[in-house]
Amino acid sequence: MEYILTVMVLIGINVILATSFNLILGYGGLMSVAHPIFYAIGAYCSGLLAIHLQIPVPLSILMGAGIAMVLSFGVSLPSLRVSGDYLVIASIGFQLGILHVINNLEFTGAAGGLTNIPVLNEGPSRSLVFVLLIAVVAACAVLLVGWIVEGDYGRAITAMRNDEEAFSALGRNAMNIKIVLFAIGSGMAGLAGALYAHYFAYVTPEQFGIFTSAALLTMVVVGGAATTWGPLVGAVLLTTLPQAITFLGLPVSIMAPLQGVIYTTLVIFFLFARPQGLMGGTRGGGGLEAWSASAAFRARRDAE
Amino acid sequence: MLTWGILGQLLWTGFAAATYYCLFAVAFSLVLKVNKIWNFAQAGVMVFAYYSLLVAFRHWGLPLVPALVFGLLITLAVSLALERYAFMVFRDRNSSILTLFIFTIVFSEFSVYLTELAFGTEPQTLYPSLLWPVDLYGGIAISHWDLVALTVTAVLMLILYLFINRTRYGQYLIAVADNENLAEIYGISRKRAYGVSISIAAVLITAGMYLFGTKAALFPSTPLQHLLIFAVIATILAGIGNVFRAGIAAIALSLIQAFSILVIASKWQALLAYILIFVVIIFFPRGFALPRKLSGLVRPSGRSAAVAVADATRD
Amino acid sequence: MNQIFSRFLKRATFWIALVVAIGLLGGPLAGDAPAAKKKPLRFGVADPLTGPAAIFGKDQMQAVRWAVEDINAKGGVNGHPLEAIILDHQAKPEVGIAVVNRFVHVEKVPVYITAFSNVVKAVAPIANREKVLMLSVGANAPAIARLGDYVYTTFPLADVDMNALGKYAFQKMGKRRAAVLHVNHETGRDGAKVFSNSFKKAGGKVVVFESYEQERSDFTGLVLKVKAANPDIIHIHSVIRDFTAVVAQMRQLGVKTQITSYQTAFNPKMIQQLGKGAEGIIVTALAPSVEDNKNLPAYIERWKKAYKRMPIGLPYTQYFYDAPYIVAALYKWVLDKKLPITGENMRKALVAIKTFEQPLTNTVTINDDHTVKKPVYFWQVKGGKFTLIGSQKD
Repeated sequence: MEYILTVMVLIGINVILATSFNLILGYGGLMSVAHPIFYAIGAYCSGLLAIHLQIPVPLSILMGAGIAMVLSFGVSLPSLRVSGDYLVIASIGFQLGILHVINNLEFTGAAGGLTNIPVLNEGPSRSLVFVLLIAVVAACAVLLVGWIVEGDYGRAITAMRNDEEAFSALGRNAMNIKIVLFAIGSGMAGLAGALYAHYFAYVTPEQFGIFTSAALLTMVVVGGAATTWGPLVGAVLLTTLPQAITFLGLPVSIMAPLQGVIYTTLVIFFLFARPQGLMGGTRGGGGLEAWSASAAFRARRDAE
Repeated sequence: MLTWGILGQLLWTGFAAATYYCLFAVAFSLVLKVNKIWNFAQAGVMVFAYYSLLVAFRHWGLPLVPALVFGLLITLAVSLALERYAFMVFRDRNSSILTLFIFTIVFSEFSVYLTELAFGTEPQTLYPSLLWPVDLYGGIAISHWDLVALTVTAVLMLILYLFINRTRYGQYLIAVADNENLAEIYGISRKRAYGVSISIAAVLITAGMYLFGTKAALFPSTPLQHLLIFAVIATILAGIGNVFRAGIAAIALSLIQAFSILVIASKWQALLAYILIFVVIIFFPRGFALPRKLSGLVRPSGRSAAVAVADATRD
Repeated sequence: MNQIFSRFLKRATFWIALVVAIGLLGGPLAGDAPAAKKKPLRFGVADPLTGPAAIFGKDQMQAVRWAVEDINAKGGVNGHPLEAIILDHQAKPEVGIAVVNRFVHVEKVPVYITAFSNVVKAVAPIANREKVLMLSVGANAPAIARLGDYVYTTFPLADVDMNALGKYAFQKMGKRRAAVLHVNHETGRDGAKVFSNSFKKAGGKVVVFESYEQERSDFTGLVLKVKAANPDIIHIHSVIRDFTAVVAQMRQLGVKTQITSYQTAFNPKMIQQLGKGAEGIIVTALAPSVEDNKNLPAYIERWKKAYKRMPIGLPYTQYFYDAPYIVAALYKWVLDKKLPITGENMRKALVAIKTFEQPLTNTVTINDDHTVKKPVYFWQVKGGKFTLIGSQKD
């Protein structure tokens, strides 16, 4: 039972991460893959504040999320200058750079990770309570993102994503939207990180690297980018799948790589067979392909 | 601390060790230029190259040339399959950059897991011993590995240069890199050009992995986590579309990292690379500018250039 | 809106159901315990079976399996067979957490064994919280002694062998200038610090103290920095492959200085890969040699017969072979006193018994401060083989 509760906590955290990533990537069209680093910043900052300054855990969680939000300028400012492939690479540099610092500073526990993080709650039913908390937070995340992208503001976001030049030419401010989306998305990732840290009481830099970026991207894409429920489905599916594979009774010594092979094969299959994601509808109704009208694509078409 | 001997040794050995980085960077840059793909799947190709060489050398005990040929054939097969069955499909679908990013990273992860499954996860070298004969010239230790590496890389780069600039097929590659639809109108097969370019990359990769594996041991995850990032940075520093400059950039980066040991602690060296990526891509998206006269040899091209120009003029 | 919602529901239900089905189907397929006449006494063992450290983990697990076989062949514990549940943690902390959670909540064992400092640190809170006894075997970060009431080590921590090596280097080997290199994580850093402090305390000088990432392949700059500092001894606190890579490049660049390391370098493969470059390397070991342990020759023979080679990390495998004997002793104590089998009681047993006579590691005494002190053995590579050159038996 405890095991299932732990998996549910992981699902909840991944839902928050995938949903917030979808806001930046799916809806905003902002190609940053550095989302895990804000997850890391939230986790580490909250943990360090609680350990060294003895700040009460709920407060340190909020502070962790806040710091992640502020540091989102590290990617939102570059996004004002470059886009597309360049932003992807810049965000990778940002992510790996900060990760390298965390990996080498004794203060953050370096490569060994941060241990003995104070937990949010104790007691025999702590997991159940935490699952309920995460469920509420995840639900709020999904609803928040859904609310942001509805209505006028949502239309503005879509317009900016599809054709930034025309958007600016009409006198609208793309800069504000980009900064806001990054701030909110990264803040939510930071919140997820802080919650993770105060449940598992341990974080390590390895959890926040390129593989995690790919995993989150996969959740968004397999679920269906730029849809409300896509990231949720993607998160549930791609968190439970590796766990389910461990129960197939495979020989222990090959389980880990075999699990990896099965998982990656499935992802590749999805990318070919159903690119609009599970929740994405016909073209234009979701998925990364919905950006057919975006500037990058028009540039390609014009070059032909 | 700073004696001429030390500096000389750093220069020589750093230069020699940078050779495989140069090969990987040129391969990556070429595929970006012609096939227009940020080929993070190259890490996966590198894994296949290495382990096929390993099988040939250690499991079958083949002599040098047949083993290299075997490794090359496998690498070619994987590369061409990638181009034909993956990249072409995504291209036809006009897929987004992120779909490609996910695919290429996940393909590399898949290769890592597959080789872990098949070969176990023990670190492996291509030859049983890591030591090569060393000679001293004026106090500088020159290992036979250094000489092999430098020769192999120089020869391959020369052949590539001649191929691109002096043969018809080389010119086809440039044409397709510039504007593939226009090239097709002139009768140049775009698909064949993609195939040729990724095949050249396969040759460079096989050579690079041979050099690496005869100097150090490899984990399946080493290419993805360490070797590839250098190639990416070098490509960006050189500017997209400048294939040979990417090779030079890789060597320069490697030397900078080696010499930086004199001023900063070893553990912060990699951070330099990441900071460089970040700064260069944002402030110099077309690479460091060369003086006008030289830039004629090395122009950026293709869609990425169009986007780069659009980005640059947007500000 | 209704349409979209019902479409979502249909799809989501399908996928979630599929995944749950796989999980449920898989559950019963996961290994069944063999039908035994008396209830088996179970304990968990988590070690890396895949990943870069698997080269050690696999041989360590073979030692565990042989020990369990041997114990059961002699009648088990009061007639009950001992059963080891072996799972892979890839030397990764988060995988370790998942594995230990499984031990505690799914397999419900009262005691588990694990190794690798970073994993040990990560899973320690679980042991303390759930009151399950945790035995760390082989991990040597000094902090392990302070990880909590339910965390014990059966293996001496770095402050034992690295302290001894620092003194030995100064007093017995006459070295005065040390260069210290370490891999950038727990084990590397903590071990290197202990050696460094010990060498300084004895009167020596540390001229270089640098770290490197585990997966680095080119050490030219680092080696040249060391060369320029002109040390008379180089201590490398590494993991496995990095040791071979660093030493190879040192020898290639003409650095002929004395090199030392700790037990992870006790690796015959390393000698094979380095050839002549390995001559003279000194490593510490914390398990007795054949001179000091009468069961060891037979154990080595067993390896040669089964695998035609020496085990990798022989001293570690000795401790892993002995670990099930400790578990057996704990179970015996609890059963004899007719106490329920819980982690709490297993811990009581450990504290009560305190001193264990072990087949391959002689006497192990678990001190009240959770530390273990054992003699340190010094081995040197001579003529392509590890040769015992000294020991310190404080």
